[in-house]
Order: sequence, then structure tokens, then C-alpha cells
Amino acid sequence: MGKEQNNSDNKKKQALKTYIKRNGSVVIFIIICIIAALFVPRFASANNLLLIVKQSAIPIIACIGMTMVLMTGGIDLSLGYTIGLCSTIVGMLVKTHEMAYIPAILITLGVGSVIGLINGFCVQSIKVPAFITTLGTGYIIYGIAEIVSHGESVNRLPKGFLAIGKTELLGLNTTVLISAIICIVFYYILHKSTFGRNLSAFGLSEPASRLSGVATARINVTVYVVSSVLAALVGILLSIDVNCAQPTMGGGGYTFEIITGAVLGGVSLFGGIGSVIGAMFGVMTIKVIGNCINLMNAAYYLYDAIMGIIILAAIIFENVKNRKL
Amino acid sequence: MSKTILKMDHITKFIFDAYGKPIRGTDVKILEDVHFDVCESEVHILIGENGAGKSTLMKILGGIIPQDEGTVELFGKEVHFTNPKQAEEMGVGFIHQELNLCPNLSVAENLFLGREITGKGNVFSKKKQMCDESRQMLMRLGFDIDPNVLVRNLSTAQQQIVEIVKAISCDSKIIIMDEPTASLTQTEIDHLFDIIRSMKKQGISIIYISHRFEELKEIGDRLTVLRDGCYVGTIDMADFSHDKVISMMVGRTLGQMYTCTHTPQKEEVLRVEGLKIGPHTEPLNLHVNKGEVVGIGGLVGAGRTEVAKSVFGARKFYGGKIIYKGEEITKPTPKSMIQKGLMYLTEDRKIEGLVLRMNIEQNITLASLSEMFKNGYIRRNEEEKASDEMIKNLNIVCTSGEQLANTLSGGNQQKVALAKWLNSKPMLLILDEPTRGIDVNAKSEIYQIIDDLAKQGVAILMISSELPELIGMSDRIYVMRRGTISAELTDREEFKQETILSHTI
Repeated sequence: MGKEQNNSDNKKKQALKTYIKRNGSVVIFIIICIIAALFVPRFASANNLLLIVKQSAIPIIACIGMTMVLMTGGIDLSLGYTIGLCSTIVGMLVKTHEMAYIPAILITLGVGSVIGLINGFCVQSIKVPAFITTLGTGYIIYGIAEIVSHGESVNRLPKGFLAIGKTELLGLNTTVLISAIICIVFYYILHKSTFGRNLSAFGLSEPASRLSGVATARINVTVYVVSSVLAALVGILLSIDVNCAQPTMGGGGYTFEIITGAVLGGVSLFGGIGSVIGAMFGVMTIKVIGNCINLMNAAYYLYDAIMGIIILAAIIFENVKNRKL
Repeated sequence: MSKTILKMDHITKFIFDAYGKPIRGTDVKILEDVHFDVCESEVHILIGENGAGKSTLMKILGGIIPQDEGTVELFGKEVHFTNPKQAEEMGVGFIHQELNLCPNLSVAENLFLGREITGKGNVFSKKKQMCDESRQMLMRLGFDIDPNVLVRNLSTAQQQIVEIVKAISCDSKIIIMDEPTASLTQTEIDHLFDIIRSMKKQGISIIYISHRFEELKEIGDRLTVLRDGCYVGTIDMADFSHDKVISMMVGRTLGQMYTCTHTPQKEEVLRVEGLKIGPHTEPLNLHVNKGEVVGIGGLVGAGRTEVAKSVFGARKFYGGKIIYKGEEITKPTPKSMIQKGLMYLTEDRKIEGLVLRMNIEQNITLASLSEMFKNGYIRRNEEEKASDEMIKNLNIVCTSGEQLANTLSGGNQQKVALAKWLNSKPMLLILDEPTRGIDVNAKSEIYQIIDDLAKQGVAILMISSELPELIGMSDRIYVMRRGTISAELTDREEFKQETILSHTI
């Protein structure tokens, strides 16, 4: 290889290529934003962009959990129903039972962790495929939520409780700040700690990482617990957001949206690859698309179809990308 | 000399990706001006180090990938295959190293895959007729395999046989065998050779790719050597000699292949007492001292890997006592054993040894990540330092530590897998087939590393199917048979292939 000049040029190109490959979600987000700014009236206003950030804040939390589960090569289809159950529980605790807010929230998060443990246990110890496990537990959770709430929603939650997510701080509300903190914490966990690296190794090759001393079983259960606890948090924040707690909060459609966001964020459905930045921009991209449909007064049902197209396109894109590796 | 039926001339192929598409922007050639020919009813051996281009050349012949330059002439006609089907129709059968059978179909269904015998209207296949014909085909070659059995229930050797039968039944005139004996036992190899001889008599030619020198002499008629994608030469097997072929393969005469300069110490590192590797196997005992290389020989399936994995905690424990550095280990797990300094290099580096889609650096530090984790985050520069040091010390050929492990050659992958353990400072290293499927150069480098480790006082337990390797490297040899140890050879003078073999069967 006697072509030093060529090599350094190639290196720069290679570096740009790897950057785009690693941060494809950011690139897609920017492209879609530019297109939207050009063609959709009223898109590029500060208020509208702020709205998108606010709308994205809560799903991003769920998407980070989903990203981690997808990185193991599993999937968490119960996520949306966990949101519903936790919304119901927290609503009933603070309104019907007039419980103090902190214990109520802790109990709700506890319920989330139990759901996660059950999912993780089925997947890791009984070796039920994640798809089946979480599909099953999801419906069970939904059923429980309906029973607990008698199918009714809890409206007009206490003011103090709403303040947890609705206090304005630095021009943003606390929900966005909570989401930002979670992003930072999980960025550290996924990209700077040994746990993140081991999770990635586990997702890419279970036998190799197990024989290298990675605690694969623990990781596998942990991701489901994290996903469900974050879902519980999302349940709480969503209830605050709409001032209503009900079992139909979240649901299957929400799960699908979160998975689409994660996939847009560059998660490999085959495991091993995923990032917090990806989850953030993936969700924001979806919200931009939803926002555009709204602004253009198109039929909102178009949104679901577009989500479907995105998820298919992302998977095809990933296959093509892998082929070029 | 009988007539030439295949001629490949001036074959050149640029580097390509996993799908046969050329990679843009590079002009690296994996084959350059290669010449290759096959006569009627001969066994032509194709040999070369890993990455020499043997498989690529055969893929061109099999129609799996097209050549970029050069011509292929089959039975006097120039041919251009665009897919494997065409090659098959022209009489080229390809038995891949990784078997291409559907595990959940029966033997008969596999044999007739894609050309099922169908009744009227091409709708229903005639199962019974296919079964009968399959049985006849198998019997003709002297195999007693039930065509109704699912392929996944067959042993690897039997699957290999099904592949061969399939190739013959397609009326192949040339059969390519890519390392057919890699997973066979000696008796099965002998049987395979009988088949090859009888195929020869029927006028079928065989292109035989193998690394095992002992076999070549027994079966081959001519031998072609490739090196770094170039044609080196073709010799008659009458002129075959070990050193000559090796020097053709590596381009120089090899000095001492094995290095054995260490001396074992007295201190015992591992003692295993009454270990059972299955519910019905005899218990076995073994021990390893500091700075000692202990070999474990035996046939594939004798339970060697199981012993290693039991000690390492990577499989179910059936009872026995493991005493490591004077401490009894009750519940071994890979994690706890690695922390204690006992490590296991697996025989299957692609699945168990490496995370193929991670880069070299991440693979090397995978088992010692907690050491890189200081003040709350992974120290990237320390990681890089550690991996660069390993790349240098083990002479891993790569562009940088950022290169993905799946883009490396077999020998370099093995070195990365080894580097992972070296980076975790082993006290006892179990090596399971450390040189399987890697080229001669990398082999001798790995022997050097093993010797160096032993000199530093690392205890080494080396499982190997290659007898010369066992004899050349070990201070002591255990031989295994049917799940237990059948002999312990302590005297280097006793180390002879015949002695070891006699204890394996």
C-alpha cells in the first residue's frame, strides 16, 4: 500500500461514512426537518419546534427502554399496556386513595419492575421467545388494568401531583427536564459503562460473551426490568400530561410507535446495536412526521400507515447496510 | 495421461464482498493469473494457506461468483457460469465445508431437493419412490443410512456422506470437496477415501482441498499450490515431500515449526478428581502444573471439550472435585473462573470465541473490561493501548484496532481470541484446538506464544486433534476415550503417534 496521500483522503471519507452510519438517525431527522421546513407552512416556527420537543419528551423515555430490550435481540410488546396499568394505578392511588405522591409513584414504579422481572424471567429462564412472552404478559396487564379500574378513567388529578410534570422551568416544563435527565443517565450507562458494552456484546453474540465472563443472564433480565420501570414512569408522566389516568393509556399502538422510533434510531432488530441518541432522534423524527400531517390537515389515520412504511423501510435499509459491511 | 477435462486459465478476481459484488475503490486481487486444470478420473489436491484463494477459485468453478478475467474451459468448451445451477448441470458438484443440507428434512428429501420426483401435474411428490431410490443410491456406495431419518439427527460424518451422495447423484463429473475430513474420525476418513477411489474408477474427478498432509499422499494424484492468490505450481504426488510442499506454500523453508523451550515447575495449579462429564461416563482425574503444557488427545467426541467446559463452568456439572490453586471450586461459572485466572479458548472462535461484529479492540478487552473502567467510565485510551500492544505482540495483521473481527482471516481471528485472554492475565489457559483451520505461518506463531506463556509460568491445557502438534508441544499428554481419560503419557520419549492412537480407539 504505497499510497499515503490516497490513504489519508480515504480515511477522511471513511470517517465521514462511519459517522453517517453511526448517527444515521440524526441525518434522517435533519433531512426530514429541512423538507418539512420547505414544504409545510408554519412548521419552522419556534413554537412548533418547541411543541415537537415537548411531544417527544415522554415517548423518548419509553424508547430508551425499548432500545435496550431490542439490543438484546428481544422485544417488549407489553410496554404500551404497562403504561396503561401504571397510569391507572398511580391515578387511583393519588386520587381515589389520596395517597402521598412520592409513595404512590414508588409503588407504581415497583409494579413496573415486577412486570419487568416476570418478562425477564420468562425470556431468560424459561426461554420463551420475547415476542410471545411480552405479547402474552401485555394482554394480561391490560386485563388487570381494566379489572382494577372497572374500565373507568380517573379524571382531574390533584394539582400538586400535576405539578410534578407541569411546572415551567427555564421555558420548558419539568416533564422535558425529567426526560433529559433520563437521556443523560442512560447515555452514560449505554455508552460509557461496562454494562453498555456488555449489553452490546451479549446482543451480538450470546455464547461468545457468556464465555468471556459477561453476566448474560443478569443483563437479559435487567433490560426488561429497565424497560418496564421506564414504561411505568411514562405512565405517570402521560397521566399528568393529559390530566387523566386510564387503562387505555398507551396500548398496542403506542408500543408500535415506540418500536418504530427505536428502529428509526438505528437499533438493529437482530440485537447488539443501538444508542440513546438514536432513540431520541428516532422519536423526534416520528413526531415531526406526525406534526406535518397535522399542519397539512391530512387525515390523521395516514399516520399509522406511515409508521408501518417507516418500520419496513428501516428494516430493509438495515439489511442493505449490513450487506455492504 | 488421460485427457484434461477442466482448464482454468489466467483467472483473476478482485476483492469482493460477501455477496460477490466487487468492493469499489480498491484494486486488491485475491486471485491473480491463476492456472488450474483437472484430468479425467484424478484426485487433484488444491492446497494453500488460509486466504491463498482456494475457496475463491472453487467458487468461480462452482458458478457461485464470476471471475473478473480469464477463461474456464470445461470438456473442451468455454463456459461462463452465472449461477451454481448451471455449473451443476455441466457436471460440477460442490461439497461445501459448511454443509448445505436442510436439517429438518429427511435424507431422501435432501437428496431430491429441487428435483423431486412428482406424479401427474407436478403437484404431489412421490415420497416412496424417492425413498427407495435414495436407499439404492446410498447402498450402492456402501452406506447404511435410513433415507427417512431427518438430517439433523445424523452425525456430521453421515451428513457429509449425504452431501457426497447428492453430488454423485447429480451426475457430477467433477466433485469439489472443501476440507471434507475436518470433522470426521479416522474410520470415517478411511471410508471416505474408499468412496473417492471407487468414484475415480467410475471416471469422476475430484478436486480435494485439505490442510492435512497425511491424507494427501494417500489419496492424491496431483497437487496444485496457491499462495496469496497466485499460482505457485503443480506437482505429481510421486514427487511429494512434506518440506517441499510447505516451502511452496509459505515461499520459504520453515525452520522449527514447534517451539518447546519452557520447563514445567513443581507447583500445582489445577487438580481435577473424579470429574464426570456426563451422567454415565467414568470419572476422570487430571492435574496441571505451573509452566507446564499438558496435551489432551483423543478423537472428536471423546469428551475433551466437555472436560474443558466443565472446569470452566460453561456446561452442566455432573460431579467431581475441582481444586484450583489449592482451593476447591464448588460452583464454577465462566465469570468467576476468569476472575480467578482460569480461561478457556474455545474451538469455535466464530460463535463462541469472538463477537464477530465488534471490532478487534472491543473483542480484546471484552473479558477485562472492568480493568479499563476507572472513575466511572471506560477509559478509551487505555483500551486502545492494551489492544495496540496485543496487536503488536501477537503480530495480528489488520489496518487498526477499529477493524471488525469478521473481516479478519482465520489465523488473525484466533490471535484476537487469544489476545482477549492474554489481556486478562491468565494463570491457567485451556486451549481447545488452538490451530484448527489456520495457516502454517499463524500456526507456528501460536506455538511460539504458547511456549512464551509457559515460560512465564502460565499452566496450559491444550486439546488437539493434530498428533504432531500434541507431540511437539506437550510436556505430558492425556489421551481420552469415550468420556474419560484412557492414558497418561509422562515421558516425552513415549510420545509417538501410534502410542497415542492406540489409546484413543
